[in-house]
Amino acid sequence: MVAYLVRRVLQMILVVFISAIASFALLSLAPGGPLAGLRQTPATSRFYISAEDIARIRTKYDLDLTIPVRFTRWLIGVPRGPLVINGKEYFGDLVVGCRQPIEEEFLNDRGKYETRVTGCSEIVYLRDLTGRSASRGILLGDFGVSWRLLRDRPVSDLIVSRLPKTLQLIGLETLFSILIGVPLGIYSAVKQYSKFDYFFTSLAFMGSAMPTFFFGILMILAFSILPRNAGLPYLPPGLSESVRDYTIPLLGTITAGSASDRVLHLILPVSVLTLVNVAFWSRYIRSSMLEVLRQDYVRTARAKGLRENVVIMKHALRNGLIPFVTIVVFTLPGLFSGAIITESIFSWPGMGRLYLLALGDSDYPVAMAVFFIIAVLTVIATLLRDILYTVVDPRIRLK
Amino acid sequence: MKQNRFMLVLGLLVVASMVLAACQPGPVATPEVIIETVEREAYTTPHPILSDVRVRQAMAYCTNKLELVQSVYPLAPEAQQQELVLNTMMRGGHWAYAGDENITIYPFDPAAGAALLDEAGWTLAEGATVRSNADGETLNIKFTTTTAAFRQTWAAVWEQQMEACGIDILRLHVPASWWFGDTTGLARRDFELGAFAWVGQVDPGGVTLYSCDQIPSPANGWEGQNYMGWCNEAASTAVKNANNTLILQERIDNYKILQAEFTKDVPSIPLFNRTETFAAVAGLTGFEPISGQEYYLYDVGKWELPGQDTIVLGFTQEPASLFGLVEDAFVAQLALYMVLPGAITTKNYDFQAVYIQDFATIENGGSVLNEVEVKAGDTVVDANGDVVTLEAGMSVKNFAGEIVEFTGDPIKMQQLVSTFKYIDGITWEDGVPLSSADFALSQKIACDPESGATSFYVCDRTAGVVFLTDAVGYTHSWLPGYTDPLYFTPIWGTYPAHRVLADGRVLADVPAVEWATLPEISEQPIGWGPYKLVEWVKGEKLVYEANPYWVFGAPKTPNFVIQIITAESAEALLLGGEVDVLASETLAGLSQTLADAEAAGTIKTWSIAGGTWEHIDISLFIR
Repeated sequence: MVAYLVRRVLQMILVVFISAIASFALLSLAPGGPLAGLRQTPATSRFYISAEDIARIRTKYDLDLTIPVRFTRWLIGVPRGPLVINGKEYFGDLVVGCRQPIEEEFLNDRGKYETRVTGCSEIVYLRDLTGRSASRGILLGDFGVSWRLLRDRPVSDLIVSRLPKTLQLIGLETLFSILIGVPLGIYSAVKQYSKFDYFFTSLAFMGSAMPTFFFGILMILAFSILPRNAGLPYLPPGLSESVRDYTIPLLGTITAGSASDRVLHLILPVSVLTLVNVAFWSRYIRSSMLEVLRQDYVRTARAKGLRENVVIMKHALRNGLIPFVTIVVFTLPGLFSGAIITESIFSWPGMGRLYLLALGDSDYPVAMAVFFIIAVLTVIATLLRDILYTVVDPRIRLK
Repeated sequence: MKQNRFMLVLGLLVVASMVLAACQPGPVATPEVIIETVEREAYTTPHPILSDVRVRQAMAYCTNKLELVQSVYPLAPEAQQQELVLNTMMRGGHWAYAGDENITIYPFDPAAGAALLDEAGWTLAEGATVRSNADGETLNIKFTTTTAAFRQTWAAVWEQQMEACGIDILRLHVPASWWFGDTTGLARRDFELGAFAWVGQVDPGGVTLYSCDQIPSPANGWEGQNYMGWCNEAASTAVKNANNTLILQERIDNYKILQAEFTKDVPSIPLFNRTETFAAVAGLTGFEPISGQEYYLYDVGKWELPGQDTIVLGFTQEPASLFGLVEDAFVAQLALYMVLPGAITTKNYDFQAVYIQDFATIENGGSVLNEVEVKAGDTVVDANGDVVTLEAGMSVKNFAGEIVEFTGDPIKMQQLVSTFKYIDGITWEDGVPLSSADFALSQKIACDPESGATSFYVCDRTAGVVFLTDAVGYTHSWLPGYTDPLYFTPIWGTYPAHRVLADGRVLADVPAVEWATLPEISEQPIGWGPYKLVEWVKGEKLVYEANPYWVFGAPKTPNFVIQIITAESAEALLLGGEVDVLASETLAGLSQTLADAEAAGTIKTWSIAGGTWEHIDISLFIR
């Protein structure tokens, strides 16, 4: 078991490293970033972007460095300058980037002008990195600074500001959808082809087929806007809390920021996510249970004259839950990544929105941090799944 | 041991990265493939169709601008739809607008358009739907614009209008990233007809858009924004003169010439102003968005909502920082405007002094053009507007305004000097009066390359600044040879030089390099405007309270909140009572939902002509 765990941890490190390279490379190649559109910024009588301005911005965000050098600075915070041993500098003349590339125009074979970098008018050497600010590296928990969303300030500040709200939303949604979905799935399986089964199977299909954005808007209309206009009790249409007190018929005045205010704001987004996910969990459990209920040992248990409750709960459910347990651990990365669409529909200040904004605004340090953390959580979830396998299924031994 | 191994792995990683870095294309490497050398004389061949002014004028006649407006703003009242239509690059009412009588107006007149096309040799054969010339070539023109739904809508209507005149339009909707890319699309004049928008300002500028030496081409390194390739000497001279003189009437006269030539030549078809839509809960008073005044919070101290002590404004984008020098996003500027409002307003595309005693004009003596003698080695602004160290052979403008060659002998040049005095009684929210030292700190930080500022254009052209001791303000001296059309408006902002930071330092002593990350600057700035920022909950809201020291007395509403919302939920939050005001940066236009809510009396909407104007540029030359 220990050998297995050590092997898996090493594999995890490799996977995380590869995913870090992949996310860094992809986002480095993606268009956008602090330089995008700068040259097209309209000049006014008091504002003009010069080539030197662009070079300065490239330097500020390490965009003047080659991708491998940027990658290691992002990952582990080095190089920060030449190697110094006993006061003597080594590799100081190593070329690590270009501050001012020389660009020239060429006609390509389609007759279009194309700009290509043909050289460099100001080279960046390793020694030039001395004194330049750099993060300690994402491996040490320093995600660097945000390019756009929190300009020049730590990415971790952004994540810390959004994570609690996402944990609240996704945590509750996961809890409720499992608490509701699992019993429904079991009951549907046990009462296969009953009216109840047909009813909930239909509902589950609807739930899984309904786009969240449409369902969310319907819910806002049905439980917020229309009842509010009709003078009936209503739920807040969005946000995580109100900024001022408000009155709801029958409930009275709700104090902004109070526990009741926050609970009321949670109801709609949690309900939307729960209803959609209940469909998933119940369908999953139903099919898993149906498979188990057809097994010989269940028939044997019944033949022994055991009560149906005992057969279901003791013999069938434990085996039926094995695949469920292996899936449920994958809610772990979801707890961090949030629910992009639902958070947008309800103006919920969570990680999903943050991730969307980071990509939209080309704030790649933020996007890469989110990518990286999700990758780490996913490999952890995978390991957890394997360990849980051995717990819930004694037939499995890890070697 | 483990630590050593870890360090070894890291070391290998670093070495590997160095090796990879060294393997990157060398800084002086030549390109691998050279297909063809650049043609320096590119874009001198007239476009076979569009270089004929009759074709361009015909297209202008065939364009039903009102119908285009109606296609994108169907819910706007007809009078407003009509008001959005443009005849030239400035809307009627702008101080620099030439007047209908001084420009060529092209009303929707397909018959006039058809006649011009016939005259140009593009005739419609019997039974044909597309015109052709004597050589049998049909009148097909490529039309490029972005994929934005807004443009897809009006472009489809325009295509039909052209079709009705026998012009076949091949409509290409391309990604904005390509169309507005640094080295693609517009920037490389890769279009025949191209639609996009400019943002009209209270100062029309226009030098980079309409002068002959601002036509991008390989020869000038693609400098300039005159993508049409329009070179009309009279217009080019006029737009330069309009931007080189400081006399208002001379500016107006020159812009008149520019507009007359522009509408005669039709290098571009101005279409319409986009609207800016605002919506607020019924009952909100004091809120009055006005064309030309970009910052609609200009009168926020007068906003009032009966029965409420808090007004909530929805933002779909959170400010990244409130350090205005590095963060130019509109939402950040607005959030900052609450605590540090602009010294002037530009309502109806004119200028109004608010926190300054008066504009520093030549006419009122606030600015003077000094005659200064310059010699070789002095720093001046040359005839091209570049900052140079004066040497023999350089072109400069002499005191009379003539462009002359500097021979090496001392020469007299103009030096613009402006004095800005702020009104009495402006006090920071901590009770300390605004002082000239606050302007000095602003100038020092804005001109420090370590501050993170994007452009140092003004700093580079500044000869010196003297901060007043007998009043709150400063006297700004530009380098000899520099003129600024907006010379009479304030240049420097304010920072509270006296502010003591959490770590005990005084703000004035903090190096510029730290400012972008300084919480007291980026997140909790203090100001002297109607409100003070008391809390910023990241991702959620910015909370303001009335500034008891505001020079104009207490704001009507004691609390103000900027709530961060999403575009998807904005209207629901307004109708659900969570926010009170949605502004143009949130609302794309007047939706049916908002119109219905207004009809039901729960909200009120405003649609004003915005500064952004749609137009179709016509490429006059091909490569």
